[in-house]
This record gives sequence, C-alpha cells and structure tokens, in this order.
Amino acid sequence: MAENRKHAIFAPALLLLGGLLLSPAAGAQGMVFHLDPLVLEILETDVDSELDTFQFRDNPSRVESAKFSEYRDLKSGFRLRELHLWGEDPDGDRYFDFRGENVGRQDARLGLQYGTWGGWSLDVDYNKIVHRFGNRALFLWNITGPGRFEIPDPVQAQIQGAIEQQRAISPGSVNYAFLLGLLTPYLDAANTLDIGLRRDRTDVGLDLGTLGGLGWRLELQHENRNGLRPYGGSFGFGNAPEIVEPIDYDTSSAELRGEWSAKRAGLQFGYRYSQFENNISTLIWDNPFRATDSTDPIAYTAPGGGSIGGAAMGFADLAPDNHANLAFVNGRARFAGNWHATGRASYQVLTQDDPLLPYTLNSAIVGVDFDGSPFDPTDPANLPARNADNEVTVLNLAADVGTTFADRFDLDFRYRYYDYDNDSRRIAFPGYVRFHGVWEEIGRISVPYAYRRESAAVELGWEINPTSDLELAYELRSWDREFRETEGTDEDAVRLTFDTRAIPNLTLRTSYEIGDRSIDGSYRTAAQEESFLAHGEPNNHPGMRKFLQAAREYHLWNVMAMYLIGDSMSLTVTAQGRDEEYDRSQFGLRDAEELNYGIDLGRALRPGMHVNVFANREEIDYRLLSRQSGATPSTDPRNDWSGDFEDVTDTVGLGFTCDGCGRWELQVQGRWSQTEGDLDLFSPPGGTPDLAFDIPNYDDVELLQLDARLDYRISERVSAGVWWLWEDYDIDSFLTRGLVPYLPAAPLLDLVNGGYEAHVVGLNMKFRL
Amino acid sequence: MRRGSLQVLILAGGVLLAFSPLSSHRPAAGGPVAAQGETAPAAEPEVAAAHVAAPGATYVGSETCLGCHDTLDATLARTPHGSRHFLEIGVHGCETCHGPGSVHVEDPDVEAHQPSLERLSAQQQTAVCRSCHDGREQFFWEGSKHARRDLSCLTCHSIHSAQSNDGQLRLASDVEQCATCHKDVRAETWKSSHHPIREGKITCADCHNPHGGPAEKMVRADSVNDLCYSCHTEKRGPFLWEHAPVRESCLTCHTPHGSNHAKLQRVAVPYLCQQCHANTRHPSTLYDARNLPTEGPTASNRLVERGCVNCHSAVHGSNHPSSPYLAH
Repeated sequence: MAENRKHAIFAPALLLLGGLLLSPAAGAQGMVFHLDPLVLEILETDVDSELDTFQFRDNPSRVESAKFSEYRDLKSGFRLRELHLWGEDPDGDRYFDFRGENVGRQDARLGLQYGTWGGWSLDVDYNKIVHRFGNRALFLWNITGPGRFEIPDPVQAQIQGAIEQQRAISPGSVNYAFLLGLLTPYLDAANTLDIGLRRDRTDVGLDLGTLGGLGWRLELQHENRNGLRPYGGSFGFGNAPEIVEPIDYDTSSAELRGEWSAKRAGLQFGYRYSQFENNISTLIWDNPFRATDSTDPIAYTAPGGGSIGGAAMGFADLAPDNHANLAFVNGRARFAGNWHATGRASYQVLTQDDPLLPYTLNSAIVGVDFDGSPFDPTDPANLPARNADNEVTVLNLAADVGTTFADRFDLDFRYRYYDYDNDSRRIAFPGYVRFHGVWEEIGRISVPYAYRRESAAVELGWEINPTSDLELAYELRSWDREFRETEGTDEDAVRLTFDTRAIPNLTLRTSYEIGDRSIDGSYRTAAQEESFLAHGEPNNHPGMRKFLQAAREYHLWNVMAMYLIGDSMSLTVTAQGRDEEYDRSQFGLRDAEELNYGIDLGRALRPGMHVNVFANREEIDYRLLSRQSGATPSTDPRNDWSGDFEDVTDTVGLGFTCDGCGRWELQVQGRWSQTEGDLDLFSPPGGTPDLAFDIPNYDDVELLQLDARLDYRISERVSAGVWWLWEDYDIDSFLTRGLVPYLPAAPLLDLVNGGYEAHVVGLNMKFRL
Repeated sequence: MRRGSLQVLILAGGVLLAFSPLSSHRPAAGGPVAAQGETAPAAEPEVAAAHVAAPGATYVGSETCLGCHDTLDATLARTPHGSRHFLEIGVHGCETCHGPGSVHVEDPDVEAHQPSLERLSAQQQTAVCRSCHDGREQFFWEGSKHARRDLSCLTCHSIHSAQSNDGQLRLASDVEQCATCHKDVRAETWKSSHHPIREGKITCADCHNPHGGPAEKMVRADSVNDLCYSCHTEKRGPFLWEHAPVRESCLTCHTPHGSNHAKLQRVAVPYLCQQCHANTRHPSTLYDARNLPTEGPTASNRLVERGCVNCHSAVHGSNHPSSPYLAH
C-alpha cells in the first residue's frame, strides 16, 4: 500500500502541537493532569493463510491473507495501545482530554478535547483507517507514474508477434490454452502488489460559545485516501484484465453553524462547503496482448480466432473533482396546546466540471462526426464539449408537527420533500469508441436523470394505560422521475405499533407494517433509449420491471421482548421479518424475504462479574426470474431461467467480564458467525439455456473469534496483562474459489484475501500516573 | 405534487384544524397539567424535576444529599454536571434534576418519596433532561422515532454510572448501546463484508443521530446518498454518464450494516445487476456452475471475481465521452 504523504505527518503533528500548546496553558491556570491509563503492548502475531491455487507464487507459505488485517494493524511489534491524558480543573470550569489508540500503527486514532464548560471548546479527531483488499496481487504492469501502468514494449511486441504468428497458422488455435501458455512466463515473473487504501481523516470542531445571542460552531474536515484498489481494465469481452485503480483523493469540508435557542423555540442555520479532489484523474494502462494500435471490427473477441486487433493502451477517466455547497435552516417550536413543530429546509448545489478526455488514445481509429466528416478522436478539441459542466440542485424540506390531546392521545404529521433536480446540459456525441478498439457510429446524448420524492405521514398514538401504547400510522411515499421507465410511483404504507410493560419486568415492543406500491401510468421500457440520439427498439425485455420502480406489496414486522429475571438476569428475544413481493413483474426481482430472530441472555453473577450470551439467525431469500435472449428479446418461455438466492447466517456470541476479582481483571469474548449461501438455478428444458446448474457455494463464510484479556494489578498505579486473540476465518466464494491468474479472457490479480487462522498474543503494562 | 400526496396533506390539515381547538384549551407546557405528568417539556429544570419530588417538599441543598450519597459526587467529576457551569444554570445542584428533597430527607426509607428519575415515565424523564438539552444533537427529539417508542434519555444514558468515553452512555460504546435493541444490526456487523464498525473505526452515531432527525432512518444527512457521499465523495458526481439507480439510493445495491457478498452487495454480482437488466445477449445470459472459476476453459469473465464490473468499472457513473455503458 502506498504510504501517504504530508498529510499523515501533518495531522498528528497538529494534534501534538495543539496538545503541547494547550496543556501548559491549562496547567498554568491550575489544571492538574493525569495520565490514566498509559498502556504499552508488545504483540506477537502469527497468521496461517488458507491459500487457494497459487501456481505462480514464489513462496506461498508466507503470504498473509489481507482479510486478517482488513481494517486493523496487528502485526508483530510494539504499540502504544492506549493513552489518556486528562486534566482536572479544581474550579470545575475547564476540561482537557487527550486520547490515543494504537499509536504508531496504521490504525491509530488520536483525539483532543479542550474547552470550558458552557463556553468555547475545541475537539479534534484524527483517525487512520486502513482498508486492505488483498495481498500479493499478480500485476503484469510496472507503475511508471501516477495513473500510468506499462508493460515493457519488447514484451508487448513479443506477445503480439506470437499471437499474429499463431493466428497465421490457425485462427482457431488462438484460444485459452494458447494464451495461457503465452502469458505464463510473464505471470511467473510478474510484480506483486499489496492492494489497499489508507484513510487519514481529521475532524476539527470549534465551539465558539455565544456571540451576539447565538451559539456558533465551526467544523473542518479533511481526508486523504491513498492507495490502490481493484479495477476492471477491459479491452473487450475477449480481454478483460483485472488491474488496479490508483487512489489519491483529498476531501475537504467546512461548516459554520449558528444556533439560537429559547424556551419554546430554536433555530439552527448554517452553510457547508465540501470539495473532492482526485489527484490522479486519468488512468492509462498497456494492453498485454498488443504493442501497436489497430482497430477491431467489433472489439468484442480479441485476442482470438476472430480478431487480434485493438488498442495498445486502455484509457479511463477516474472520479472527477466535484464540489457541494449546502445551506440549511432547522427550526423547532412549541405552541400552546402541547403542539410542537420541527422542520428543516436545505438547498444544495452539486457541481462537477472536469475537462473531458478525448474519445480514445487509439491512434488507428477515425471518428465520424454528425455530418459524416472524419475526425481524430484522440484530440479533445474534436469533442462537442470540453468540460462536463454538470450541476445538480437539491431542495430538501422536512416538517414534523405534533400534539397530545385528551390526556392519552398524540398525533403527529410528517412531510418530506426531496427534489434532486439535474440541471446539467445534455451533451450530444456523434459516437463513441467501444472498448478502446472501434468507432461506434451511434449518436449518444448524456441524460440528466432527476427525481423528486415526497412522503406524507400521519401517526396517531394512544396511551391505553400507563404501561401500554398503541400507534396507527399511515404514510404515502411518492416518486417522480425524469427519463426513467416510470414517471411516478405511489406507495401506501400502514403501520400498527404496540408496546407494553403491563407484565411486571417484561417490556414488549411489536410492530407490523404493510405497504403497496403502484405505478402511476405505464412502465416505459423504451426509457433506456434516452441516451441514444436516434431511438431504436429497446433491448431490455419488455416484461422486466426494475424493482426500484416496480409495483410491489411488502410486509414488515418486528417483535422484541425484554424480560428482567430478578435483579441480576435479563432475557431478550427478538424477531423481525420483511417480505417484498413483486408479483406483477414478469421478469426481474420477484420476491425478497428477510427473517431475523435471536435471543440474548445476560447475568450479573456478582458485583463486577457479568456474563452474557446471544444467538441470532438471519435468513435472506431473493428470487429472480429472467429470460435469456439472443439478438432480440426472446418470446419463448423455454428460455426462462430463475434463481433462488439464499443466505442463512448464524451468529453466536458470549462475553464474560470480571473486573472485581481482587487484583485480577478478566474479559473474554467469543463470536461465531457462519453463513451458508445457496443458489438454486432452474431453466426448463428445450430452450436456451436448457439446463441450469446450481451454485452451492454462493458465498459460504465462517468466522470464529476468541478474545481474552487478563490483567493483574501490581500496585495502584501499575498493572500487567496478557491479551490473546484467536481467529479462524474461512470463505468459499463462488466468485473467487479456484481463481488462477489467467482465466479465459481475464488476467486476474488473484488476490490473497481468503481464509486464515491467526493467533495474536500481547503482553502489556498499564500505568496510571 | 400528485393527487395522492395532496389528498394526504388536505387530510392532515383537516385533522390538524379539527384537533387544535380541543387541545388549545389545555394549559401550556410546563404549567400545572405538565407538572402532573403530561408529555411537554418544562420550561425550567426545577419545574420538570417537580415530577419526581414528593408533594410539599422543599430544597435542602446538595450538601445534604451528599451527606448520605457520598459517592455520587465523584461520579459527576469531569462531566458537565460536575462543572461550575452546571451550578450556575442549575442553582439547586442535585435537586435541579431530582427535585426538592426535604420530604425524602425526613424519611429516606419511604420509596415513594425517593427522588429517583427512574420512577418517572419516559416523557417525564426526558422532560428533565430537555429542560437544558433541547438544541444541538437533541434538536429534533420531539416526534422522533425513539421518542414515539417511549424511550427516554435514561434508556441509553447514565448520569452517575456512565461506561463510555463519550456521551455518558450506559454501555461502553454506542455500538453496544444500540445493540441492546438493534440485535439484527449487531449480527450484520459480523458478516464478511462490513464497514469497520466492529474494529471501532466508525460507530452507529457517525451515520445516525439517535436523538432524531428530519431524514429517513435518522441519518445525519438529508438523504441516505448524501450521507454516503460524506465519505465516498468520489461517487457524488454529478457525472456525464449517470447510472440512475445509483443517484436514487445507494441502498438499491448495497446493505450498509454488513453482507456476505463483496462490497456490501445485497445479492452477489452478476445476479445483482440481472435484477434490472434482462437485455438481449450477455446481460440476460444465465451464468451458472459451468462458468465458475474452477471450470477452467468454460469459466466466464462475466461471473468470476467482479462479475459485470470486470468490464463496467465505472458503475457509479463515468465522465469519459466513450463510456455510455459505464465501462471506464
């Protein structure tokens, strides 16, 4: 993972400097400081990764699964596990609090809070977050610059030459086996990369106290995200290498907020600006199979028997810089008659105006303009526009008005309005370059999708008696869309809620909701043609209903019972279910069911000693119906196929704490989580497909974790402890099980991010100074 | 606005008008009725705390309280309630929240006279706290989901025995605190694909404001997408070529609390995409066990590893003139 630059040093240095500057100042004013605790720890870590197929690895036995350290840094060595420096003000006016976790590690976190109670305050949070995707990725390219991945020209030329030679002998022999053999020596010698991101995030909040009758707060935020993540660098169906995307993002934002508060009313208002900058805006990568530019008739099959043409380089536009401006006003008020009202109005402008890249870098391609004249598609001057010039405005309104009446009733009205209005101009292009390989003379035009959604709800609550409440609610959710299959949808939802504590020591919470969504007008499959200058026949199946817009009925229910058994034991039973039915969709998502139930038991064995266990099961079941088509949408039901996607996840946990066992403190936690995924596929015989083969390992996952911490108090100020973490993780994903560095038409990164067994032992000393 | 929502608004307005004369005869919040247990917050802490005080009780001062409850003062140290500022705005010390204690002092064993807030209804407990905490994070409490389900401040917070570093929570972290009810979410965080919640790098309260908010699911933004963009800013766009469902909701494809499929996907690729795309040729093609990575020559690059996204890399939107199909 690429090391971050100045920011990584800047933020903690700022924090440290702030701490140093503030602490003497605080001390000079009589604040007494404590370092409690300071925990130093030595870790010894052993990770035994479960490796899949690594025919090209040099020394697979020592490759660590990135999953173990996905979001943490537990490598062997020293760490300052915890640091807490805090000040005690004898006058009770001020506070000072400095915390550090995992100092010296890639997942460190530092926090500073300093201020006066009821007056001004400063809080700073510096959070380092790692996100590792995979270790030892096989990468044919050399990273020669920001956003530039190259394969040495002689290598490219040699591979291209070999393919041309083989094709001349027999076009049909340019197949998977041949290409695998051709690439293997290069894959054997390929670079290896550890792929992941590092986020350095700093949040600063400054409460300025009361100025001019208003409370003011300034918030500043900066985050740098740096590293590599997997990316698709496709040159067509026949050559879709998996590459990496270089990431170097800076996001900065500032918000100034004012608040006015009175006994019966309050007002918040503010302005927020946010800016995203991508320091690597384009990505260029060499085609492993070609050294020279050429065109390809369809850019779908190369390299293969049909074609070996295409571009020498791929060319991607990475996330463009963007800006967001937000102004908001929040209000609250209480009126006579127990009425209350809260509301929010905000207006946001989102803009993005990055320069547009040329159609391609492939110098062999000739573009054809609207008038039929040829042009050079590698020259951005030949684009119809030089910049994206995208702008969206969002008007958001929300209001909640409620009251209580007749002693036992309450009534609440809610309204939300969110208007995502895309004001971007539509840019018409005479065509585009498909897969870097061929000019496609099909006029396209950008589509500024927009939508507006509203919801209006009324909720009536009845306090049946002091221990039981019943609520009936109705909500109407409406969507209006532009350029989509539906112009509008309406969803009616009714919810009944009943909560009671009528039985001593038992709290019961229940709710049931039913919803029905209908399409306003017709479903327009032809909406997919909005991006074509000349609309043709849509090629999505006319029976397909995109589930976001489809008519549906859903049921949602929830039960939770919490029971206190005596003074020392609690039992909680929960169950939730959701069932979405898309019966009126001929194809697409037809049904989505989720069922979740669990039990928790907690018991205080004696003061300072507590044990708890829980078990939870979740069953998710999605059903999809589709129809396979050739060049035109099929009308033959024998071409149907269906999928039943099932995930059953069991999670079991236990915890034991003893912090009152003489000089000893013990904490034990265990977690076991297992998912059995199963994908049942079916297709009736006689069509295409005429058979379907199930996928039993539809992402089967198991994680077992034991975490035990034992501390011994040597004296009032010093403790010694040992920490042991054991994890056993196993994943059998149908998408990655058995991956090799080259599958047909796809050189893959072949990441090491699968199962592992890990032991971490830590010895620590804790000081209270 | 279409017909349906207009009807609801008219209905809502009608009900509003119908009920307002009825309720307008009731005394104002903080008045005598409120003192007898109505839901409206009181104007002053002392008035709100009157719920818990025994009838006829008078203030005795914090020193009297600490004469017996001698450990409680320490529990407030380094908290706002132990500061001098608190004494300035809550002039009665302990009795600012607990109400006048003279009757309790006279006979401490009478349970009915013990000024514990735990004896109050949820609304009454909340009224005591909200007599000060009615702005900032708590601005939208009234009418919020948790308020309507009869939760009080004390459901999650403890003034005298807080276990968390921040927020004076009853449990050590907000993740643990939220999990006392939201156990399904707790289980989801243990799935293979997850946000770094269980690693402690983000918490529930980073995305949700449990005290309520004007947006759905109490998220700290105007919409789910606006919330997601606060970290995933690169996906904010707007792009030259948009993928419409991305703009409508990230939840179309992702489940934020955890998934066993890569990238927090609700359903694994390519089937996730095929829920909407049954287009001619490859989008509607059945990919099954014959196309798995283990199958060698018949493995399909439209199924393995990243599925459709192997080619449609810019699935969240693209700025490339040659990328109407979100390829690069």
